[in-house]
Amino acid sequence: MITVEGLTKTYGGYTAVDDVSFVAQPGRVTGFLGPNGAGKTTTMRIMVGLTPASRGQVRIGGHLYRDIPNPGRHVGVLLDASAQHSGRTGREILALGARTMGLPSSRVDEMLALVSLTDDEAKRRLKNYSLGMKQRLGIAHALLGDPSVLILDEPANGLDPAGIRWMRTLLKGYADRGGTVLLSSHLLHEVEMIADEMILIGRGRIVAQGDKKTLLSGDAASTLVTSLDNTALAAALSAAGHTATPAGEGLRVDTDTTTVGRAALSAGIVLTDLRSGSAGLEDLFLTLTADTQRDAAPFQGASA
Amino acid sequence: MSAATTPTLDVSGTARVPFGRLVTVELRKMTDTRAGRVLLSVTAGLLALLFGLVLLVVALTDSGRPSASDWINILSIPVSMLVPVLAITIVTQEWGQRTAVVTFALEPSRLRIVLAKLIAVIALGVLTVLFALLLGLVGTPLGASLAGESAEWNATAGDIGWTLLTQVLYLLMGFGFGLLLLNSPAAVAVYYVYVWILEGGVIAPGILYVLWIAFDWGQAVIPWFSMRIALLPFQLGGDDGDFSGLDVDLGIDTLAVARLLVAVLIWVGLPLVLGTMRVMRAELK
Repeated sequence: MITVEGLTKTYGGYTAVDDVSFVAQPGRVTGFLGPNGAGKTTTMRIMVGLTPASRGQVRIGGHLYRDIPNPGRHVGVLLDASAQHSGRTGREILALGARTMGLPSSRVDEMLALVSLTDDEAKRRLKNYSLGMKQRLGIAHALLGDPSVLILDEPANGLDPAGIRWMRTLLKGYADRGGTVLLSSHLLHEVEMIADEMILIGRGRIVAQGDKKTLLSGDAASTLVTSLDNTALAAALSAAGHTATPAGEGLRVDTDTTTVGRAALSAGIVLTDLRSGSAGLEDLFLTLTADTQRDAAPFQGASA
Repeated sequence: MSAATTPTLDVSGTARVPFGRLVTVELRKMTDTRAGRVLLSVTAGLLALLFGLVLLVVALTDSGRPSASDWINILSIPVSMLVPVLAITIVTQEWGQRTAVVTFALEPSRLRIVLAKLIAVIALGVLTVLFALLLGLVGTPLGASLAGESAEWNATAGDIGWTLLTQVLYLLMGFGFGLLLLNSPAAVAVYYVYVWILEGGVIAPGILYVLWIAFDWGQAVIPWFSMRIALLPFQLGGDDGDFSGLDVDLGIDTLAVARLLVAVLIWVGLPLVLGTMRVMRAELK
């Protein structure tokens, strides 16, 4: 379990992390989501003692990171997959980690197999690795000591869709066995695919947290519908007290899909497409972090 | 709302990473990259080359046998040339390649890491000098037999000790520059400018050396802040040797000891202390 309490980090007048508090529970994958420069990496660096906090603290399983003996055996950390010597081979990088933690060298082979790096790839120098391979190696390094807590900064960065699916399976399985996983990303769909729990951060502040359902619960219901007779359907929905506005080839209605389906059924109109038109997490994310985005939230069309 | 922070992570069964293990890992880091292996191979190559050259000169000319202490003097040159780069980069590569993020995540005590590196650097100095001594052990009888004379085993424990101390001090100086600058090219440049241009000795006499020989004020002032000149009386064992024709003070007395301590404090002590403080405080990006 990772407990972050009132964490604040200021650099002169600039506040990189502003009173951040959250808990990453064991058995769950917690996604730390925010645009670039929102304070995710700074928060994670403070967690593992690489950066001192200005105020507040982080406890991992009740301990400060610096008080955990042989921390690699308890907390797996991947902060930057490229932060390894480019002249070392993948195998050598893992061997150094295993040696430090006091693990047998067989553990290196196990981890290489786990992240699907072949023997041939493990003998290559890091400078010849793709970003995806570096991420796999970084995951292997984080898992070396069989830790019960994982802290991963942008682990899916550079992975292809198959790689992201692989990571999801890996981390879900890890959490199902009771592990605590905290991972960050600036890409919503990555976190949405992997995380059970989400923490949205913008300009150093937490703007929302909870599971996907909780986050979307405040969202007004909306439906996108297309039928063989949209005009008649719009009339039927208006009669029932709903507002239907043309959207693309169909209509956008300010109610849920069941109500729209019922209205179409009673009016005898054939539906060709019916789906939820909720703004979804993407819009929520952009709304919540709108004032923290580098680019002002774009209006319709391309911005100059 | 903060959850009760009851420890859920049982760390009672885990020991700290033993210090000895940190040292062996640091030694391995010096030699597991291409740069490390190339520097050590070139050093070995230079040693072999010099070894061969000396034997060739002995065999072809009538210059006589090189004694054991001659061999130590000759063979300590190549080990002092490139090995310091390893002592510098063992620190600076952690910043340049950003591996410090990983190193300090596995051992949060930065002081332990700095100390482990320090011990590794000292071990490197001892190992390289031992290697040179080993060659000297072979070279002394070999050179003597080529010259048709009996071997002269005149190297004292003092000779060997000062050779070792000199090598270790210069490695620690490089290490200190590395800690202070946290940047490989800068630390290597500062090191070689000081050692080769200011102090000199290996290839050409350095600026400080020339000033020391040429001027009275040079003899009064420079031994206080040139490590090479402050070390000279001890390396020569009170024997003026090549300097017999020159009016320089090479006696071993309290003044010489004080000068050496000050020079070592300036070039080894200060960089080590200030550099360690910098590493302890540096924020890793």
